Amino acid sequence: MAAVSFRVPMPKTIGHPRIFASPPSGGLRSLLAYSDMLKNFVRKDIQVRYQGAALGFLWSLINPLVMIGLYIFVFAYVFKAGMPHYPLYLMAGLLHWNLFSQITGQSCDTLIANAGLVKKIYFPRLLVPISAVTFNVVLWLLAIALLFILYPFLGGKAHLSLLAYPLALLMFLAFTFGITLILSVLNVLFRDLKHLVDVSLLFLFWVTPIVYQYHRIPVHLRDIFALSPLVEYVLIFRGILYSGHIPDWHITGLAFLWTALSLTAGLFVFNRHADSLVEHL
Amino acid sequence: MRNIPDEVVRVENVSKEFILHHNRVDSLKRRFVGLFKQRWRPRHEHFHALSDVSFSVRQGEAIGLLGRNGSGKSTLLQIIAGILKPTSGRVTTHGRVAPLIELGVGFHPELTGEENIFLNASLYGLRNRDVRKRFDDIVDFSELAHFIDTPVKNYSSGMYMRLAFSIAVHLEPDVLLADEILAVGDAAFQNKCHDKIDSLRRNGMSIVLVSHNEQQVRDFCNSFVRLENGRVVESGTFKTRAVHSR
Repeated sequence: MAAVSFRVPMPKTIGHPRIFASPPSGGLRSLLAYSDMLKNFVRKDIQVRYQGAALGFLWSLINPLVMIGLYIFVFAYVFKAGMPHYPLYLMAGLLHWNLFSQITGQSCDTLIANAGLVKKIYFPRLLVPISAVTFNVVLWLLAIALLFILYPFLGGKAHLSLLAYPLALLMFLAFTFGITLILSVLNVLFRDLKHLVDVSLLFLFWVTPIVYQYHRIPVHLRDIFALSPLVEYVLIFRGILYSGHIPDWHITGLAFLWTALSLTAGLFVFNRHADSLVEHL
Repeated sequence: MRNIPDEVVRVENVSKEFILHHNRVDSLKRRFVGLFKQRWRPRHEHFHALSDVSFSVRQGEAIGLLGRNGSGKSTLLQIIAGILKPTSGRVTTHGRVAPLIELGVGFHPELTGEENIFLNASLYGLRNRDVRKRFDDIVDFSELAHFIDTPVKNYSSGMYMRLAFSIAVHLEPDVLLADEILAVGDAAFQNKCHDKIDSLRRNGMSIVLVSHNEQQVRDFCNSFVRLENGRVVESGTFKTRAVHSR
């Protein structure tokens, strides 16, 4: 990282240009002032993506549905997983995996794709990754809504633990957002990171018990598999949506730790490099 | 009027140093191979784009940054806009700063003129409800009422510029940072641009205009700063400035 930093350390007293008549008092405040930009940005992305497509928004459902159908065929019929309500088991893990992989897969490009903007106008840089994440979440909402509509038919039961779902989702999103921040910065400095991320995602998918059961992992390998933060989140989501109970405290605690770590590291890396990134775009 | 001090832009001892990368390490592969191959190893060179630049702009003043290509004037404009951070020194601005470094930044070709107005204005920190209030003025000024609901990819380049310029002047900036662009379109439209800018200035808007064209700066500005190799070599005021009066 030393190769890209300034030789002369930047003094702390540099005045930030004020965009508003009343100076923004903090980061969050100025982000809120730009909330309409976020809205316009996400709307633009959705509009552009589905413009002229007859099915429009519904396209975002086709991909996960096909994936789910194929996994059900392979694992429930060919391999005979022999598990009650396998479709629900699968969807609870797979849909959340999709959210993670879509966001992180695209996160590498966000800053580079918006280079023209970032180099010509000043706005809080954090809005670039935030809008990319929001865009993917909005598309994903359709899929998760479908899961909840089908929930009773797939064998899901109403449990009190379902109430914990929004909290778990929020935690998962915060975790993903932190990863996004780190990847978007690193990809500006190392442009081939994207390929590494693609391969890692493929690897991560198969070491996470999404299509198979956690206890099928050989005991001596479980500790290694458990190093993947995705394992905890998948266990939590499946616990809530499939088994009807929130997993043990050591799993939720670990997931919470991952979220805190990812978000802290992400914000730190991003804020530290946001200003100088412009010169590398 | 908002409470804005007399001095709206203050540039104090600003220096900017870029690192010129030869064999830039922008991939993991390069970094790895560089461990073994001398030829792939990156070299850096420090390049002083700006050295100890100071000046200030008062409310309603128009200042021209003159200089040849590569003299650092555009870098200075980016620093005032907050896009780049100075290596040392300090820049303070008051009020809304609208960088007009390139027209139509953030326009999306697939979106209509109307959608682009909201998108573009929000990039400068304007709320949608404020844009809605100015919407008719923006469309009227651009003379594009008939085309405002068609995608801008179908606009001619003149129409595109007119829309972009119209948005910029209707942001009601306190400071307009312009890179050689202060008027667009045909002669008639250019006159309209000039009139609009003059009226904005009478209302207290300041301009920082970057240009290598001394005549353009003379036409618009009442003072100037000349840069050479990143240093201020000359600064002063123009005697004759017809339109502006304070």
